Amino acid sequence: MVSDSITNASIHAAPNNNARDVGKKKRARSAKLKQCKLDVRREQWLSQGAVKNKDCKAEQNGVVEERKDRNNHRPFGSLGMRPGGGENDGSIHHHHHHHDSDLDSNSPNSLTSSVLGSNYSETNFTGSSSSSSSSSSGGCCSGNITEDDEGGGDDGCLDDWEAVADALAANEKSKNPCLESPPEHDPIAQSGSPQETTIGSDGPNFGVENSKPRCARTIPKASGNGLAWRPDDAFRPQSLPNLAKQVSLPNSNRKHYGCGGVPWAYSGVVSAPSSCPICYEDLDFTDTSFLPCLCGFRLCLFCHKRILEEDSRCPGCRKPYEHEPVEAEASVHGGSLTFRLPRSCSLITRS
Amino acid sequence: MQASRARLFKEYKEVQREKVADPDIQLVCDDSNIFKWTALIKGPSETPFEGGVFQLAFAVPEQYPLQPPQVRFLTKIFHPNVHFKTGEICLDILKNAWSPAWTLQSVCRAIIALMAHPEPDSPLNCDSGNLLRSGDLRGYYSMARMYTKLAAMPKKG
Repeated sequence: MVSDSITNASIHAAPNNNARDVGKKKRARSAKLKQCKLDVRREQWLSQGAVKNKDCKAEQNGVVEERKDRNNHRPFGSLGMRPGGGENDGSIHHHHHHHDSDLDSNSPNSLTSSVLGSNYSETNFTGSSSSSSSSSSGGCCSGNITEDDEGGGDDGCLDDWEAVADALAANEKSKNPCLESPPEHDPIAQSGSPQETTIGSDGPNFGVENSKPRCARTIPKASGNGLAWRPDDAFRPQSLPNLAKQVSLPNSNRKHYGCGGVPWAYSGVVSAPSSCPICYEDLDFTDTSFLPCLCGFRLCLFCHKRILEEDSRCPGCRKPYEHEPVEAEASVHGGSLTFRLPRSCSLITRS
Repeated sequence: MQASRARLFKEYKEVQREKVADPDIQLVCDDSNIFKWTALIKGPSETPFEGGVFQLAFAVPEQYPLQPPQVRFLTKIFHPNVHFKTGEICLDILKNAWSPAWTLQSVCRAIIALMAHPEPDSPLNCDSGNLLRSGDLRGYYSMARMYTKLAAMPKKG
């Protein structure tokens, strides 16, 4: 019995005294082990270090290709990850429904989405558009579809020239979800599991098979070059927003399919990040129309209240909050204003 | 309390995802306590700390992210803004300039930046600060280099 509890001490929270002692020892040992691991890690790292330092620049250049490679494997990885991302399911859900209805209501959009859904590359798009926040035409598509690109600090704001560039590219080349798919890289933070969840659910919903032929047709046209930045471009500033793509895509849709797709990407949430940069919880509609500080730093009402109770300074600019927050009306009439402000802010906070 | 835990958990997931993105930082969360983190950071190049790997200990308060994490060097380092004995770091963003928008990862980046750009006018390590303030760059460099070699680089042989 004693030996039992020894071996299992870590598993069952040991109920008797013997086991508690064991637990203590275990803890001491695991602490040592931890340090040991750290040391080992450090040494390994160091031994690579000399080489790496020299290669640093080369690495940067190579990043793009490396990432591509990685991305090729990614679809499966993300598949596997889906269940893990489950906790986000709930929060995403309403977005998702949203899409459903939108997509159902107009064919062009649903077409795109199903094209995307036809292989798992859709994950990639979302990932790419949000994570590196750059875009390819493919990236645009998914950016739209999931809509809640986890831009994180990247508040959705227009980035005009890039939007134009992307729109142009999208028009010329048409969309090529299938080819362009690989550009996604896991490491970047903001591409949350939300996308992974949406993806899986998007695909089946929109009659994937039907649209496959079209997908195949569109592929050859598109190569995804001629974009301002490729999604996997190492040099693309991370703080660039993704929203531009959301806006530009419906345009390209319309041109391509000749009928006006409902630009559901425009709806409401456009100008806000999809999650609170403080608590990382998803922003709901009230939160997204809440602009507490002139610097444009957005956060959820809950965090805002907590901050008001503490030092009452805006996390973005560190200036004290004004007593009357600039609320929704700002985003209503000063459309461009609200778009731009968050961006400058996100640049500040991220650098 | 719950909020800080949730946020740290999100940061943890982010770190897992971002691991490859920042080759100079390894952030590791304690297996049993999400409020204890350890970071390994590489000394920035073209500084006396180049080639060294420095260990940082994070103690995250329950009010995080409204309160900054407490960070100190576990690896000995000769730097004007790091206490030579305790490893305490004098860095504005860890004190009054903290913003909840910062993350553990960005704190690491800030510390790397501090290593490259010491502030000799608010020294925790007076010897180091005085060397810099008196313009003895060479003296500062060689002292810092020595301690980097002694403490932050693998022992040879």
